[in-house]
Amino acid sequence: MVFRKIGKKIYNLVTTAIDRAKFAVSSIWMLLKRPKYLASFLVSLFVFLYILSFFKDGSGNWLLLCSNLSFGAKLEVLGRVCVKILDNFTDLYGILIILMSILQALTIMLLIFTWRNREKDHAIDGASTGGIGAIFGFIALGCPTCGISILAPLLTAVAGTGAMAAAEGISKALIVLAFILLIYTVIKLGYVSFVTMSAKKYKEKKHAKSR
Amino acid sequence: MQKAVRIAAILLVVGFLFALVIYNTLNPPRPEAVVWDKGMTLGDVETAEHFFYDYTDIMCPYCDKFALAMDAHLEDFKKEYVEEKKVFYELRLTNLLASFHPEEESVTNNSTNSALTGYCASEQGKFWEWYGWVLEKLNNDYFSKGIGDSAGATQHIPILDRSYFTGVKDEIEGLDEAKLAACIEKDETAAKLKKNTEKASKVIQSGLPYYVFNSYVSPGFDGNWEVENDWKSAKLMFDAGIASKK
Repeated sequence: MVFRKIGKKIYNLVTTAIDRAKFAVSSIWMLLKRPKYLASFLVSLFVFLYILSFFKDGSGNWLLLCSNLSFGAKLEVLGRVCVKILDNFTDLYGILIILMSILQALTIMLLIFTWRNREKDHAIDGASTGGIGAIFGFIALGCPTCGISILAPLLTAVAGTGAMAAAEGISKALIVLAFILLIYTVIKLGYVSFVTMSAKKYKEKKHAKSR
Repeated sequence: MQKAVRIAAILLVVGFLFALVIYNTLNPPRPEAVVWDKGMTLGDVETAEHFFYDYTDIMCPYCDKFALAMDAHLEDFKKEYVEEKKVFYELRLTNLLASFHPEEESVTNNSTNSALTGYCASEQGKFWEWYGWVLEKLNNDYFSKGIGDSAGATQHIPILDRSYFTGVKDEIEGLDEAKLAACIEKDETAAKLKKNTEKASKVIQSGLPYYVFNSYVSPGFDGNWEVENDWKSAKLMFDAGIASKK
């Protein structure tokens, strides 16, 4: 009896989530058709791809920028990150970076829409959940034992090199968590956007009829 | 109010994490300026003006991207950095991957056997020749086929027999294969590797590779397996090392 109740609850939750995801996808599609939102999506996508690719080597690029290299050499470091964006298509971590950047860019686009449509509470909620997801992703992407993850220096600072044996497990868990949080945020904000858009359309129709 | 607390908590955690990273990168433990293995060095430690240490594991693909680029430009490196800029370069060979991945038999086995053979090749004064040979072999057999070429690789390098590393036949002039095979069985070689790996683990703050070029310290190397591209990345790090305080 108890199991049946729990099962029913889970079933309801899943079906609601699927429905909301469908609404979210259609609102994202509608927003992407608008040039302003498409532009904000593309700009955010590039910014996130650049930042995540910059830190794909762990702190390597950052350390080069902080070093005593000449200004020209530092510009070269920044320029080479653009090549790395293209390299992302060739390895697993690169593909995860691309997926994470797409989710983050969608979150930003939806945040702009919800904020502009006076759904500030939802926007703040989305920003904080998405922000946590983004931070987890930023820390965990890459291979800690290969020195190309921000997680590695964090772990060794806390627990020494011995912690490296556990590093990859922690990294994988954080990546999964980051994706769950980002997908949750996109669905949540997408659904709010869909409701807002539908309400707006309804009001416009009503207004047109009353004229 | 609740939201403000949540945002403040997030900022606090992020701030703490970044403070840790920054502290860690600004205060790296300094490696001892003692030569670990003369056969794995380039330049003269007595007259050098710059000291570069490269902590590596032969089975670490990120180390090998750097090493392959370095091997292809070894003469350029010797001329431009060792001769002109008086760099002393030491490759500090470890089997740290064995302790990072103790559950993976292929990693522990290959990492240890490759490192042991490296120390034995050095004993015969042929380390750099052997190193170039084994890198090329690993690249041809595995990395170039997408096997074990990154942490995210779907296929891993299998357990390799010791002869994979020692079987130089007559490909390296002056390197005796029989002596090499006998040397890696010795307890002294294993003890040397263990001692050096323990020393390395005290210096390394993250994974491998780990570069200490004067006071410029950098973990990781994520090239793209294109020798020229990776050489450019390596040169930026060398130049950062030269420009850093000694």
